[in-house]
Amino acid sequence: MSGAGDLLHVVSNDTISARRKTFARLIIWGSGLLLLGVGAAQTLHSTGNAALGFENWRPTLYAYVAWAICLCWGQVLLHGENGKRTLFVLPAALFVISLTVFPLLFGLIIAFSDWNLSSPTGRHFNGLDNVRQMLADPFYWNAMTNMVWYTLAILVEYAIAFGLALALNAEIRARKFFRVAFLLPLMLSPVAVSWMIGKSMLEPRFGPVARLARELGWENPSFFGDPNVAKATIMIMDAWTFIPFMMIMILAGLQAIPKELSEAAKVDGATGWRAFWEVTFPLMLPVSITAILIRIIFKLKLADIVIAVTSGGPGGATDTVTSFIFREYRDRSNVGYGTLLAMVYLVVIIIAMTLLMKLADRITRPRT
Amino acid sequence: MKVDLYEIMSRAKFSRRRMLQGSAALGATAMMPSVMGFGPALAQDNVRAQILAIPGVGAGSPTDADWQKVGELCLGATKANVAEGEFAGVELTFFGINNNGLHNILFRGLLKGWETYTGAKINWIDLAQADYNPRLQQNIATGTVDFDILAMGAPLEGDTASKGLLDEMPDWVKAQIEMDDYVNYLKAPVGTWDGKTYRISIDGDCHTFAYRTDYFGEGAIGGAEVPKTWQEVNAVSKALAGQTDPLTGLPAHGYLDPLKGWGGFGFYFLENRAAAYAKHPADPAWLFDADTMKPRVNNPAWVQAIQDVMDLIATPNAYPADQINADPGTTGFSQFLAGTGSMLTWWGDIGSNARTSDTSVVGDVIGFGINRGSDKVYNSQAGAWEETYNESPNMAYLGWGVYVTNRVSGDEKKRKAAWSAAAHLGGKDLSLWMSAYPSGFQPYRNSHFQYDEWEAAGYDRAFVEDYLGSNADSYNHPNAAIEPRIPGIFQYYSVAEDELAKGYAGQYASAQETADAIAAAWEKITDQIGRESQIALYKASLGM
Repeated sequence: MSGAGDLLHVVSNDTISARRKTFARLIIWGSGLLLLGVGAAQTLHSTGNAALGFENWRPTLYAYVAWAICLCWGQVLLHGENGKRTLFVLPAALFVISLTVFPLLFGLIIAFSDWNLSSPTGRHFNGLDNVRQMLADPFYWNAMTNMVWYTLAILVEYAIAFGLALALNAEIRARKFFRVAFLLPLMLSPVAVSWMIGKSMLEPRFGPVARLARELGWENPSFFGDPNVAKATIMIMDAWTFIPFMMIMILAGLQAIPKELSEAAKVDGATGWRAFWEVTFPLMLPVSITAILIRIIFKLKLADIVIAVTSGGPGGATDTVTSFIFREYRDRSNVGYGTLLAMVYLVVIIIAMTLLMKLADRITRPRT
Repeated sequence: MKVDLYEIMSRAKFSRRRMLQGSAALGATAMMPSVMGFGPALAQDNVRAQILAIPGVGAGSPTDADWQKVGELCLGATKANVAEGEFAGVELTFFGINNNGLHNILFRGLLKGWETYTGAKINWIDLAQADYNPRLQQNIATGTVDFDILAMGAPLEGDTASKGLLDEMPDWVKAQIEMDDYVNYLKAPVGTWDGKTYRISIDGDCHTFAYRTDYFGEGAIGGAEVPKTWQEVNAVSKALAGQTDPLTGLPAHGYLDPLKGWGGFGFYFLENRAAAYAKHPADPAWLFDADTMKPRVNNPAWVQAIQDVMDLIATPNAYPADQINADPGTTGFSQFLAGTGSMLTWWGDIGSNARTSDTSVVGDVIGFGINRGSDKVYNSQAGAWEETYNESPNMAYLGWGVYVTNRVSGDEKKRKAAWSAAAHLGGKDLSLWMSAYPSGFQPYRNSHFQYDEWEAAGYDRAFVEDYLGSNADSYNHPNAAIEPRIPGIFQYYSVAEDELAKGYAGQYASAQETADAIAAAWEKITDQIGRESQIALYKASLGM
């Protein structure tokens, strides 16, 4: 031990011998090579290039765990106390990598494979065939187009959510009760919503909503018969569930606005609408953008209501990308193509969200 | 027996008089061997009468103690082939579903006595119904089959037997379970693959025709006679548009086609219409050409079936409003049982729910028959219609069976134990009890349709004869439409549902174009799974 070095952040400054360093490098590189070797051997075995008697991929997993342990141990051997500090993060990082990066890599391998679970020949690479199939798949692009409409509906949801938030932010009677009541739909499972509303209340003969529609003069009410009406009904059911989510975020934003600002606007003679448009709305933009972006992410995953109520019909009018992937994957065991569709959708979502966030950043940046 | 059917029979029709009748009959049957000196045959009858009295019709649902008692009483056949304690030390794993009181839960009790007698031990893999298929497919795809005995539907034989995952049934098992007693359609080729037998049937499935008796007869709104052909069904359905239902006072409707998919199961309902047109008596194939796997779904027979549906869609008020969004669950339970529509094809659940379900209003006005016929049939090989009457019941899903996997093939003792356990569950007497009490399984043997036994046990004979009679007639029909047990069969159905939904919504110009789209999608699936192997497996499944 020596007293020199960075003693501000390090309690003990280890003297690390060259022999110890060599040993550390040896176990790190040795275990790394072992991992590579086992992985390569297993790959050769699984691709049929060598018969090495592996029954499963556990040897590679064990080699990875051994390498991870050696890597962590090696940090302490190499860097002493600094290495111990690394240990606070390194195991967690390795764990996260194992749970995200590896599955993603395996997912990519599957996405570029022809893999139907019923095929006796199993999985095999098919290059860009799945991409070509996707480009020519009318069901997928129909679902994509539907997603654009579903996403646009968020603007209306936002307007309603803002209105409700303003109402609940005002001094009204039973405000706490309404806040809880308006939140209830968000607490319901979308599947329950599908059955309670889609299957029961909107049932065309005996459902209460259909009866009311008949009373109001709609002779044969049908909420899922016409493509446009069906799409609108799904949008309304989904909106009913998720408007409270946007509302609660906007309400929190409204309550964070200092009262002085609205009072100052009032003193300056701003009327209700003007005060809202010139003061409240701009101040609420960051919260609004966040709420809308999160809502878009939720919306792009819309599937449960569609699967339970319409199965994507009539004629694909209510289909979503997720419900289509669900059918392709679950009903048709088309694992390779289904995975590619999911991967492409993930990339589309990431690009779209990045662009939206850039745009939102530009909109909400204070003008100087 | 399906739970609902048991409830209707035991609840609605049971009376003290019937109980006395039943008891007297059972008592008389029990005494007969000693009085008349008859030997083994009557001893078996005695067992049948004894087990039908456990727990007794109207005495509530059977319990685990009842299952164990029934299992012990039915050990006779096992004892003839297996010595006491012969399987000591053998452990078997049984894979199945765990619906409350049914399937694996029931099997545990029924096999308890077998375990005690043979010394074997059974471990259970219990799966929720929704998890069953994914788990099985995953086991197959990843080569991780970890069970010795498997309860499985026949359509999945293409995914298992074709891949050599099953063990061939030994001859002594065939004799023990008396396979000759099976109804016709469950005999080979069902349960066999490449001429080898793999399945012990424990269930039967088919679609039967249900109709409203108040719609048909002299002066009734549907006409004097119940439609016999699909042509008549469509004519009546069109004529009923705009009339009033005699029971509910709401608009009257004819046949209820489900126009929305149901995870692949919805396609069975188009099959019902197509069977009469497409299933030629001289040709076992009706979905694909057996030599090429070229889909027949776009031939004139299938196109006619799709056109029939489109004709009703185009007829105002022929269907209830929103029919485009009605799946088979809706047509069966929300519509037909609730008094909407007058004709339907479905599995046995409709018959059993008609009188037991709280939401059913048609219990007293329901009749049954086999799937409707046609006054013409398409001969696919000749490429021409034949103007002759044809009918073909649709054996949709083919029922559950017990199979033994090849994990036991190398160990003769274990293999015999596995087959013995399976044979016990599929035994002739035990199966009678399973078809008469809640088990999740339908009757599937000719001996199950001896209505005297049912009546003696206290059941309502009229209902049993009407409802089960339609099943028996379908099962034994010489031109039954048998489901192809090829790998991925539900993939074909699922993609067909998607294309039909587009066709019904008017996105294709005609029925032919819709059928062509289905055929193109089916060709893709066949190519992906492997055309040559599918041809071989399709032929094997048809026994060709």
